[in-house]
Amino acid sequence: MKIQIITNNPLVAQKLSEEYPVHYEPRSYREVLVAVRDLIHQGYQLYSHPLSGSVKPNETPYKSVFLSQKPGKLDLDAVRIIENSIITCDKFAVKFPDPPPDMDRDFQLLDLTLLQGALSQITT
Amino acid sequence: MKLELGYINIHDIQFSNESKIENGVLYVDKAAVEALVLEDEHIKTVEVDIARPGESVRITPVKDVIEPRVKVSGGGGMFPGVISKVDTVGSGRTHVLKGSAVVTTGKIVGFQEGIIDMTGVGAQYTPFSKTVNLVVNCDPVDGIAPHEHEHAVRMVGLKVAVYLGELARNLTPDEIKTYETCSIKEGFEKYPGLPRVAYVQMLQSQGLLHDTYVYGVDAKKIIPTLISPTETMDGAILSGNCVSACDKNPTYNHLNNPVVEDLFAQHGKTLNFVGMIITNENVYLADKERSSNWTAQLCEYLSLDGAIVSQEGFGNPDTDLIMNCKKIEAKGIHTVIITDEYAGRDGSSQSLADADPAADAVVTGGNANELITLPKLDKVIGSLLPIDKIAGGFDKNMLEDGSIMVELQAITGATSELGCNCLSAR
Repeated sequence: MKIQIITNNPLVAQKLSEEYPVHYEPRSYREVLVAVRDLIHQGYQLYSHPLSGSVKPNETPYKSVFLSQKPGKLDLDAVRIIENSIITCDKFAVKFPDPPPDMDRDFQLLDLTLLQGALSQITT
Repeated sequence: MKLELGYINIHDIQFSNESKIENGVLYVDKAAVEALVLEDEHIKTVEVDIARPGESVRITPVKDVIEPRVKVSGGGGMFPGVISKVDTVGSGRTHVLKGSAVVTTGKIVGFQEGIIDMTGVGAQYTPFSKTVNLVVNCDPVDGIAPHEHEHAVRMVGLKVAVYLGELARNLTPDEIKTYETCSIKEGFEKYPGLPRVAYVQMLQSQGLLHDTYVYGVDAKKIIPTLISPTETMDGAILSGNCVSACDKNPTYNHLNNPVVEDLFAQHGKTLNFVGMIITNENVYLADKERSSNWTAQLCEYLSLDGAIVSQEGFGNPDTDLIMNCKKIEAKGIHTVIITDEYAGRDGSSQSLADADPAADAVVTGGNANELITLPKLDKVIGSLLPIDKIAGGFDKNMLEDGSIMVELQAITGATSELGCNCLSAR
């Protein structure tokens, strides 16, 4: 299965770029979700849940999602999931516009490891 | 399977030069507990303290809460596959230090959460203000990775709970409760007129710091399966989850699952409690599809009339919850889901991150976004430093008088999706 990663987490870009196509941009959590939504609208298949992690949207600044490398048929379930994820994200105020370095590192690490956990589950 | 739980009622913990239980008091040899904890090469320092109901004490950041138990007879030992050999548990006799708990604390990641207040407003929201708690506060060796730290503190909590539980091995319980499951065939024969109901427990399994273990196996790696509800009372399921304080299931809740308790109470009266299915909450969407397909198929295979599904966590698991509900309902099985809500501070926003018309019977543990003010307490066990960083806390949330404003999500067990909490609409 060929995948691409959409992320705003520099640690994901650093650790996974050799193995996967990683589209990294320093943008907000919500902007990552919107970018993912736009890809889903174009028919890219959503493979990981956009609200992974129990640290809430906007409480952590980082989000990584993986999708198919090529577009296919529009998946209405994925449209529902990403739209609900954006609605959910909007319920949470941005908590740490400028997190202290140790916390920032933990947020990056948690996002990376949740992503790696999901990637390790790919069986096809 | 038949399991007897022998309750040894504990109403106080005191430090002593010998660990023992006498007249409902758990005496703890502090030095022995510290030595046990420091056996772990990942732990640099440890402080052991006591927090009693009503005391002006705040414990934070809480990692896990564990009830001390000991397996007296029947196969296996407590926490099989992790502390004890991986024998099947859930039968025979288990002694429980009822009224007491081991609480582990220590900063594992910067934004980790979990507050237990032993008095004041906050105490009303957590069930662990009513237990007398032995608090183990650990600091790790330098340079340790968060997942190694989590593992070390997880093992410390279990080992201390087992050490204390062992003190009750030869005691006479104050009360004995008996739980007995019957086979599929026996159930059909004994209760032909009663609705067949099973419990589906969803286990947190998203990854680092969000894990649950079943007989030592990371629940991320399981496929949905059957487990005897009595196995959970002997620690077959335990928590490796140190975030999401309000709606994570500490190990204590797995040992004392109210859904299991209530289904047993109704078994043979209003329903036939057929059994329990465990499933996971993975991040990978194909896993969600696979697990929910499998869960629904097991429900059909058991010829159920009804299923109760409990969730752990919020957001990503909402999708698993709705998938499970839709697919079980589609099999013609009435399904009730147990969840909690993130409905905004005023409660007016959409509660879940997913929904479906099939989810027409919902029990809620409460709104985790609700804001409360916790008074300043005299003593803090652990550290107040992360209090503005925890989920549910926020920047500058510590007020001038020392009180703290938090959302309910910061309080351990406040909106438990097993019903292990204190909120009610009654």
